Amino acid sequence: MSSHATRKQYLGIFAALFVLTVLEVGVVKMPGIGKHPMILALIFLAVTKAALVGLFFMHLRWETKVLKWMVAIPLATPALYAMVLIADAMWRRLPA
Amino acid sequence: MSASATAETLHSHAEAHGHHGPVDWPQDEFFGLATPGKIAMWIFLLSDAFSFSGLLLGYGLLRGGSTVWHHPGEPELGINFTAFLTFLLICSSVSMVMAYSAAVENDRKKTAFWLVLTILGGVAFLCGQMHEYFGFFPAFSTHPLHGLVGEGLIFGHSDYANTFYVTTTFHGCHVFAGVCYLTVVLINTLRGKLDGRPGAVELVGLFWHFVDLVWILVFTLIYLVP
Repeated sequence: MSSHATRKQYLGIFAALFVLTVLEVGVVKMPGIGKHPMILALIFLAVTKAALVGLFFMHLRWETKVLKWMVAIPLATPALYAMVLIADAMWRRLPA
Repeated sequence: MSASATAETLHSHAEAHGHHGPVDWPQDEFFGLATPGKIAMWIFLLSDAFSFSGLLLGYGLLRGGSTVWHHPGEPELGINFTAFLTFLLICSSVSMVMAYSAAVENDRKKTAFWLVLTILGGVAFLCGQMHEYFGFFPAFSTHPLHGLVGEGLIFGHSDYANTFYVTTTFHGCHVFAGVCYLTVVLINTLRGKLDGRPGAVELVGLFWHFVDLVWILVFTLIYLVP
């Protein structure tokens, strides 16, 4: 089994990253979009782009499960911490 | 085979062949064919990811807790120009994987060619960042003549300015480090030191793609989130 993508696959990922970047700018400039849907869409697009870079360009897709988890678990902790902080901020703003 | 026995076999193999360079790495039960260098690079990148996470979480906390984020007189960040810089980094990531593909095929000239393009992409990104700060190239200016600094986004004047400059400059330092690292790999490639050793190109690629990956998140959180 190959340990990395083919040139064609790399160019496919490049096209996907380009389209996702255009979509990000499009979401920001879309008239009438609410703040929260916009933030959710932007985070979804950014995480998708980051995952494509990690899985294909950094070859994580072809690594063993142990290495994949070794990377994924630590990377998930700041995201979890961010969610805890957001939940905390929202709870503090609730009416008494 | 135990880890120590594996290391011993490799060591004796290297000595028997009269060199101390990398040797074919055996299949590991947990990490497959990933070399110790690659695992070490991943551990370094994870620690670096925590540094960026700290900066981005700090930015989120300060912004979420502020009543006024953009003070009067401070400019908005230019999205179109930074989207172009993002595109530039993505292009340099593609040239990086092309360099790796050429290295796997042991094609020294093509590897060097793609590495040069990657370095140029990194240098262009750094020039773009300097332009964004100080307005070096008026023809491309979104903030005419003096960049963000001239428009009133001054480091030390507000949390908005501080978090912006600290995060983007920290990332810029990584791009600069990546350009230096790539240049060393390019020189070694041209001197034939990396012939048959695509792993060395893969390692610099891991660092370079990480820099791209972090920029994707910085671009979204600092520039795009309203």
